[in-house]
Amino acid sequence: MIRLERQSRAAARRARLRRRQERRLARARRPSAVLHALTSSALALPGLSLRASAESAPTEVRTDYRFSRYAEDKLPGGKVAVGGERGRYDIDIHQFRFETGLSDRIGVAIELAHEAMSGATPWYVTPGPNGGDPVQVMTQATIEERRTDALLSSSYYLERGKASLGAGVSVENDYLAVNGSLGGERQFNEKNTTLSGGVGASVDRITPSDTNQYPTRPKEEDKQSYDVFVGLGQVVGRNTNLQSSLKYQHATGFLSDPYKLAFVAGNPETDERPSQRNQFSWLTRYRHHVSTLDGTLHFDYKLYLDDWNMNSHTFELGWYQTLWDRIRLVPSLRYYSQSQADFYAPFYTAPRSDGLRSSDYRLSPFGAYSWRIEAATRFQTWSFVWDASVAWERYVSDADLAIQSVGVENPGLVSFNLFTVGLTARF
Amino acid sequence: MRWARRVGSRWLLVALACAGCSSVRPWEREALARADMAWDPDPLDKALHQHIQFSKEASLDGGGAGGGGCGCN
Repeated sequence: MIRLERQSRAAARRARLRRRQERRLARARRPSAVLHALTSSALALPGLSLRASAESAPTEVRTDYRFSRYAEDKLPGGKVAVGGERGRYDIDIHQFRFETGLSDRIGVAIELAHEAMSGATPWYVTPGPNGGDPVQVMTQATIEERRTDALLSSSYYLERGKASLGAGVSVENDYLAVNGSLGGERQFNEKNTTLSGGVGASVDRITPSDTNQYPTRPKEEDKQSYDVFVGLGQVVGRNTNLQSSLKYQHATGFLSDPYKLAFVAGNPETDERPSQRNQFSWLTRYRHHVSTLDGTLHFDYKLYLDDWNMNSHTFELGWYQTLWDRIRLVPSLRYYSQSQADFYAPFYTAPRSDGLRSSDYRLSPFGAYSWRIEAATRFQTWSFVWDASVAWERYVSDADLAIQSVGVENPGLVSFNLFTVGLTARF
Repeated sequence: MRWARRVGSRWLLVALACAGCSSVRPWEREALARADMAWDPDPLDKALHQHIQFSKEASLDGGGAGGGGCGCN
């Protein structure tokens, strides 16, 4: 009897040990199953990076090429000084990016951009004929310019975060900018919370052209800008992610535009802005995946403030629709509204006491909307996975689109079309 | 800089509220790992739009630090 009792107790103990062992094995198997699910779901998506999260160095080589044609609308005849140029800027933009992992901890990326610009640009604004709305005077000659931009960045990946370094240079015939940045992120709360931050600096030298023809233009000026940001990302559900970040930039030096003039008491005078600017932005981003539709919603809002008394609001809404695992459609909308700089005016009847003046449309009050549609497809040849994409964007700005009411519209406000084709290869 | 303090304090409130949100386990992240859930799915598209907006509007971009160049016409 006692022996039978001992045997049944031993059998129960063996069964308990077996069940514990099975649970251990199941736990050990779970991460690889998760990894497989993550990888397969990412592989099924066309056109985008295979890595959505930045938790490890790139495991493949990725190269991107984009060609974009940026074309500004002609100004309406009624907004331009009589007999003046109405055509504006056209820009051809080539972009190239290469990304790879050097080890399981280190990733590097190189980004190159080349722009060929041609056309006329707003110069200054005069009162309209017979007391009508002000009119734009455009630059007299067609400008031909080229800009080349290179950016090198590297990241070191840790178990719960990463550290990043970046350095870049932008070269034009009259402008040189050298910039660098240092950033990092750290994950907490089972990787549901991500704290990120960074600092950056840019040192710029401006050497305006045609100073013999326009002697009031400075021959050489410098400006510097320093920025710092901090961000917090939070997973708020299985399908939802939220991020909020603050950025502050301090700029000092020559912040005026050497190519623009302001019409003061009947005379065109040089553009004169403060030598310092403190800018502040608060960006909040929301991502939500709808499994039943196989689509993802993107919503961004940005509040901007600066000590030139400007503020702006930006709303962006996008929908990433995946079709048959290899086609992606992305319609998106953007709305933007800004107030004016406190020293801005379309023209001045008398000089300001502080000597500041600018009639630049970018410092004027206006609103803008843009809509964009992108289509992309994925295909495979040998060991290459290709993504081909095409996109078209329309941007319209107008004083009537501003949140606040605007008394006098700047006649130089810009509207443009942006057409982009792209190809991405991974191997 | 009163406005900066005001915005900073509101951001801190949002950050604290978010830190208390529900926790998602590693094996529940299939949707979160999708490439179209990334903050910026296409780095070149992001760079181009940041540059255009910097050139045509008065505002500072959001997010990371760094970058430069003019193209200001």
